[in-house]
Amino acid sequence: MDQFVQQLANGVVLGATYGLIALGYTMVYGIIQLINFAHGEIFMIGAFGSYATYRYVLPDSTPVGVALPLMLLGGMVASVAIAVTIERLAYRPLRHAPRLAPLITAIGISIFLQELVRLYFPGAKSKIAFPQLIGGDPLPLGFGATISRAKAVVVVVAIVCMIALATFIRRSRTGRAMQATAQDPDTARLMGINTDRIIVTAFVLGASLAAVAGLAQGLYLGQIDFRMGFLAGLKAFTAAVLGGIGNIQGAVLGGFVLGLVETFAVQYVPGQFGGGAWKDVWAFIVLILVLVFRPQGLLGERVADRA
Amino acid sequence: MSTATAPALGATSRSGVLDRVDARVQAAVPDRLARPVVAVAALATAASAFLAWAYSGSFPGNLTVYGYPGGAQVYVVVLAALTAVVAVVGPTPAGRRFLPAGTTGAVRVLSFGTVAIVLFTVAAIAVEGGGLVWVVWGGFLAVVLALLLLAAGRALRPDERRFRPGVHPAPVEFVVIGLVLGAALFAFVEALAIAEPPVFAAYAIAVATGVVAASRVGWGRVIGAMSGRHSGVTVTAAFLMAAAFPFTQGADNRWLNVAANIGIFATVAIGLNIVVGLAGLLDLGYIAFLGVGAYVGALLSGAAASTIGWHPPFLVIMLLGAASSALFGIIIGAPTLRLRGDYLAIVTLGFGEIFRITVNNLDGSSGPKITNGPNGIPGVPDLKMFGFDFGQPHTIFGVELGYFANYFFFELLLMVFVVIVFVRANASRIGRAWVAIREDETAAAAMGINTVRLKLLAFAGGATLAGMVGTVQAHVTSSVTPDQYQFINSAFLLAAVVLGGMGRVQGALLGSVLLLLLPEKFRFFADKQLLFFGLALVLMMRFRPEGLIPNARRAREFHEHDDEADALGAPPGAPVAHATKVDRL
Repeated sequence: MDQFVQQLANGVVLGATYGLIALGYTMVYGIIQLINFAHGEIFMIGAFGSYATYRYVLPDSTPVGVALPLMLLGGMVASVAIAVTIERLAYRPLRHAPRLAPLITAIGISIFLQELVRLYFPGAKSKIAFPQLIGGDPLPLGFGATISRAKAVVVVVAIVCMIALATFIRRSRTGRAMQATAQDPDTARLMGINTDRIIVTAFVLGASLAAVAGLAQGLYLGQIDFRMGFLAGLKAFTAAVLGGIGNIQGAVLGGFVLGLVETFAVQYVPGQFGGGAWKDVWAFIVLILVLVFRPQGLLGERVADRA
Repeated sequence: MSTATAPALGATSRSGVLDRVDARVQAAVPDRLARPVVAVAALATAASAFLAWAYSGSFPGNLTVYGYPGGAQVYVVVLAALTAVVAVVGPTPAGRRFLPAGTTGAVRVLSFGTVAIVLFTVAAIAVEGGGLVWVVWGGFLAVVLALLLLAAGRALRPDERRFRPGVHPAPVEFVVIGLVLGAALFAFVEALAIAEPPVFAAYAIAVATGVVAASRVGWGRVIGAMSGRHSGVTVTAAFLMAAAFPFTQGADNRWLNVAANIGIFATVAIGLNIVVGLAGLLDLGYIAFLGVGAYVGALLSGAAASTIGWHPPFLVIMLLGAASSALFGIIIGAPTLRLRGDYLAIVTLGFGEIFRITVNNLDGSSGPKITNGPNGIPGVPDLKMFGFDFGQPHTIFGVELGYFANYFFFELLLMVFVVIVFVRANASRIGRAWVAIREDETAAAAMGINTVRLKLLAFAGGATLAGMVGTVQAHVTSSVTPDQYQFINSAFLLAAVVLGGMGRVQGALLGSVLLLLLPEKFRFFADKQLLFFGLALVLMMRFRPEGLIPNARRAREFHEHDDEADALGAPPGAPVAHATKVDRL
């Protein structure tokens, strides 16, 4: 039982990160049916942005309570700036092109950003140790399981972000405009919605959440790496599809399901196919199974099929 | 997408300002006056290449000499002289006959190429030496003259000549096709022979400029029409030219090895082109199917590190490799091809990762010992078929060829097979159905096409071809490791297809050659190659999404909305700037 609770906690932490990144995929996909393949890299940029803020901007003795929000801000500025630039320079000109074109652009951007960080961020050619700001004893969860304070903070922050996003989309004017654009861009435009601005908003929101995830991963894994975006992005997209792409709640649910599947597979698959080496394989097998048996995702996708 | 209905209203053409300046200049200067000016500027530029450009003789080609051109200067002379000739000959009867599409475009392209080489070389001298002081006055003069030439080219009246490529007697056309292909082989061998990167860069610019200029004067369409009439002859001649390549290298394995890698890569790229280019299925894990074949090939090759003792004849291995790949293709494709295309991209990407992780794990500790994990299967022996040892140099027609030539010839045979599959499928009912699915799946289904079955055919067929090639690849690289099959290589394959031009064999070939040759030529750049690769993909999609050798229909598809936007954005009565563009398609 203690192992079960422990893995449950680990899975929830992992799932929170996936969910945060998946939201970025699902929002952009919901509105312009684009798999923003470079979103994983936006997440990576967010992590590096917050690290750079800590390392090069903040004075050494900054208290944690001040440092963390400022690091998050730094990460968000970096990832949002990159995301908006990409949208403006690379995706927008291709909005009416056949679907293959923006996807290939996205792959190009993804490779470009990885290399940019690897070559020009000091020390990024190997893994960079991320400052462990949240120390202290792990918190007990009952049944002998514990969770480190960093992970606990990550889960709380992630859930707050998700609720904030859901509220924003449901209640605010811009949020409702996003929903309208996702449903029918042409009609939305006729109703006076500036769809270009809405699309940028989706990129900005997605990038901000990715930056939160980047900082979170840095905090609880203790290291960042220019390659961290590729697999995380792939998993997050899997999470988005799992929950039903275009569906905000679905992305969150998909993230948690995927996180739990991974941690439980590591723990409970017996024999040689258990263990950390196979966890990514299990994640993708879940994706394929979902596509076979419930292609619209767990909660159902929210985009009109325009393909 | 249904969203693709509203072009950006009021969008102005990007080159609007430049067009207006051009129009003003052309109105002021008559064409017959402008052409001699261009010719003089061109000859002056060519003459400036006979001067010294650099203080230090260490720059490749030794540019410190007055009196004759060296290194990159040679290409400046050639391009500038061509510019002069084309500019002067253009309006003459001979020019009208042999340069049927007009010469203004060609003059501008050639002068642009000249400027590019001059600027690049001068910049390279400055960078290499550590400052502009290393450039001699001759270099600056060349820059000024070349820029003058570029400016003078703007005064020429734009091309408006439309023409219909004439039909010539078959032997004449055969000779032309042969000459073009021979020139291509010559250009390739020449490219390999140039060792210094700056000189090679100048050469590459010169060749690219020459090709574009030739297509601007109408030769592209003329040759296209000829090869279209005699496609069988053209393809045969092209393969003969490729087969002639090892004879230019002799016993030297250096470039034969690269050629053997290009052969594998290009064959796989053509296979991917069936999946992506014809059926429109974005496969981001194609390299994994090659990997399946390669692992089958390596495991059954009798290598010491192999965990399977059985060593059947190679043709059996090839079939087994193809079959295993096909099996994986069906397993992956069957569930996902029922869904929208985007899912396929992500599932194939996931499959690629699963494959890499799996072969990495089957090392005896994380899983059964089959693939030796990250160490892979080294020491795959050379192929032996029917008593012919691929590992030995052989003498053919009195020329001793390095042993990679054996693989190269064998790959050519494979490539012929894949090309035949591609061409025959494309020309058949199946190919038309694929195109229909690619264009509009719903409409295709409504026309009675079984879309799932045909998509699966393309997907699994592509996988089969990749698996087959993989068994050969195991022998060419002589070791098979998980790293060879990571995502970036799928991206490379896709890039080869896209850069060259989707849906065409020539496109995939050109893309493969460029993608494998350029890194070999710019090795000192190794660290930044991926950076530029990513950037190149983005720029390509932005400015020439149809690829270098476009398929006419696809090119129109990609530019449909540019034209619409331009047409709406242009003021009424404005000249249609795209008349020549349509001509070139």
